[in-house]
Amino acid sequence: MSLLELEGVGRRFGGVVAVDAMDMTVDEGEILGVMGANGAGKTTLFALIAGNLRPSAGEIRFRDRRIDGLRPDQVNRLGIARAFQIVRPFAGLSVLENVAVGSLFGTGRERSIRRAEERAWEVLEEVGLAARAADPAGTLTLAGRKRLEIARALATRPRLLLLDEVMAGLTPVEVSQALDMILALRRRHGLTIVVIEHVMRALMRLCERLVVLHHGVKIAEGAPGEVAADPGVIEAYLGRVRE
Amino acid sequence: MIAEHARFLGLLAVGVAAFAAVPSLGGDYAIGVALNLLMWIALTQSWVVLSAMTGYVSLGHAVFFGAGAYAMVLCFGSLPFWLSVIVAGTATGLLALIVGYPCLRVRGPYFVILTFGLAELVKFVVINIEAALGQFGRLLFGGPGLAQIFYVVLVLAAVSVVVTWLVRRSRFGAGLRAIRENEEAAETLGINVARFKVLAFALSAVIPGMVGAAMVLRTTYFEPLDLFNPITSFTIVSIAIIGGGDDVPGPVYGALFLVLLQEMLWANWPEVYMILLGGLLVAFVLGVPDGIHGRIAAWRRARR
Repeated sequence: MSLLELEGVGRRFGGVVAVDAMDMTVDEGEILGVMGANGAGKTTLFALIAGNLRPSAGEIRFRDRRIDGLRPDQVNRLGIARAFQIVRPFAGLSVLENVAVGSLFGTGRERSIRRAEERAWEVLEEVGLAARAADPAGTLTLAGRKRLEIARALATRPRLLLLDEVMAGLTPVEVSQALDMILALRRRHGLTIVVIEHVMRALMRLCERLVVLHHGVKIAEGAPGEVAADPGVIEAYLGRVRE
Repeated sequence: MIAEHARFLGLLAVGVAAFAAVPSLGGDYAIGVALNLLMWIALTQSWVVLSAMTGYVSLGHAVFFGAGAYAMVLCFGSLPFWLSVIVAGTATGLLALIVGYPCLRVRGPYFVILTFGLAELVKFVVINIEAALGQFGRLLFGGPGLAQIFYVVLVLAAVSVVVTWLVRRSRFGAGLRAIRENEEAAETLGINVARFKVLAFALSAVIPGMVGAAMVLRTTYFEPLDLFNPITSFTIVSIAIIGGGDDVPGPVYGALFLVLLQEMLWANWPEVYMILLGGLLVAFVLGVPDGIHGRIAAWRRARR
C-alpha cells in the first residue's frame, strides 16, 4: 500500500523550474532513496512534501489525504517528519530539550514536560546521544548535530521520516554507524523512510528502490542495481559518451 | 521539580509579604520606591514572555502601558477602580491580538522597528482623539490613594512573576523557546508558530495594560506624551538585558539594580545616572550578554 503519493507535483521559482511534473509513490515500510546532482531538486522535493514550500502544480497525498497546501506543523502532526540537510539545532537549548520539543509537539503531543523528557531520553539512547543530553546543542560536532536532527524528528513519532543528507560530511566510520542506526530505527518503529543522499555506497546499502532526479525531472526509478546501469542516469552523472 | 516549585512559592511568599509590609512601615518615599520597583518587575516579566522567550524583541511595550492608562481615563468615574484595571488589561490584550498577527510575520530588526513605530502611532492617535474631544491633558481627581494603588501593582507584579514561571516550564514555553532558536525547525516539528507567537504577544500585553491603568492614577494626570513615553519601552529592554535570561529571576535582578541605582543617583546627579545607564548597557551587551541572572547561575554551577 502506498503511504505517500505525488502526482504531477511541480514548483517554480520565477522562471526556474526546481521540480517538474513529479510522480512518485512511497510504499508503507520501504526505504526509498532519492539521488541526483546538486541542484537537481531533491531538497525542494522534501520542502514540498513537508509543507515548507507550496507546490505550484500537482497533488500530494499522505494516507489518501491531500496534504499540499497544509502548513509544516499540520503536515508534521499527520505523521511526516523532516530532518534538514543544513542542520537546525535549537543551539541555546540542551540536547535533551531539543528532543523534548519534538515529543511535546508532532504526532506524539506529550502533555507534560516530564513525560516528554522521558520520551526524549529513550530517543537519545537510540541515536547514541544520551551522554550529551545536558550539553547545549550548539556544542555538538557535525556528526552529533546530524544525529540530533534525526532524534528530534523521530521524537515527533512520525510514520514517514524524510532524511536529507544526514550522512553528508561524515567520516566513513560515522557513515557506517549512521547506516546501522537508520536500519535499526526503521525496524524498531516500523518507519517508512525517504533518504536523500550523495554517498552512493550508503544508498546502495539502505534502499530497496531509488529515484533519480535531474534538473527537477525524474529520469529513472527502480532497484539500485538497475538504476546504476541505466544509460540515462550514467549520462546525467558523467555526460554523453562521444561517438 | 516539586522541590523547585516549593522553593519558588516560598520565595514568592517572602517577597510579597516583604512588599506588603512597606506601606505600614515606611513613609510615602519608601512606598514610592517600592511601587516603582514592582512596576518595572511587572512590565519586564511580561516582556520576557514575548521577547526573551520567542526572540521577537518588542521595543514598543510602552504602547500597552499607555493604552491601559487611556482605558482607565475613559472608564474613570463610571466604573470602580479594580474593574477599570481589568477592563484596561482586557483591552490591551485584545489590541495585541489584533496587531500581533500582522506584526509577527516579520522578524529581527524589522519586528523591533515595527513595535517601536506602532507605539508611536498609537500615541499620536490618542493625542489626536483627545484634541478632537477638546481635551488637553486630563486631571483625574478622587481616585484611590497611594497605598491602594500600591497593593494593586503588588498583585500585578506577583501575577506576572507566576505567569512567567509557569510559561517557562510549560509546553507552551517550550514551543516559544524553540521558535526563538529556529523558527523553521520549530514549525517542522509540529508547532503552530503563528498561533504561539500571537498568544505570547497578547499574554505579554495584559499586565502592562493593567499596570498603566493603575499608575496613571498615581500622577492623577493623563498626558499621552508621558504615558506612551518610549523611555518606558527602552527601560524595560534595559532591565531585561541587565537582568538577563528568559526566566523569572532576570527581571527581578534587573529592576532591583536599575531602581536602586536610580534612587541613589537621580536626586543628586541626574546627568550621571543617564551616562552611567548608557555605559552599563554597553558593558552588559558586550561583556555580560547573559546578564546578572546568567552570571549568578554560572557562579552557582562552578561552586557545586
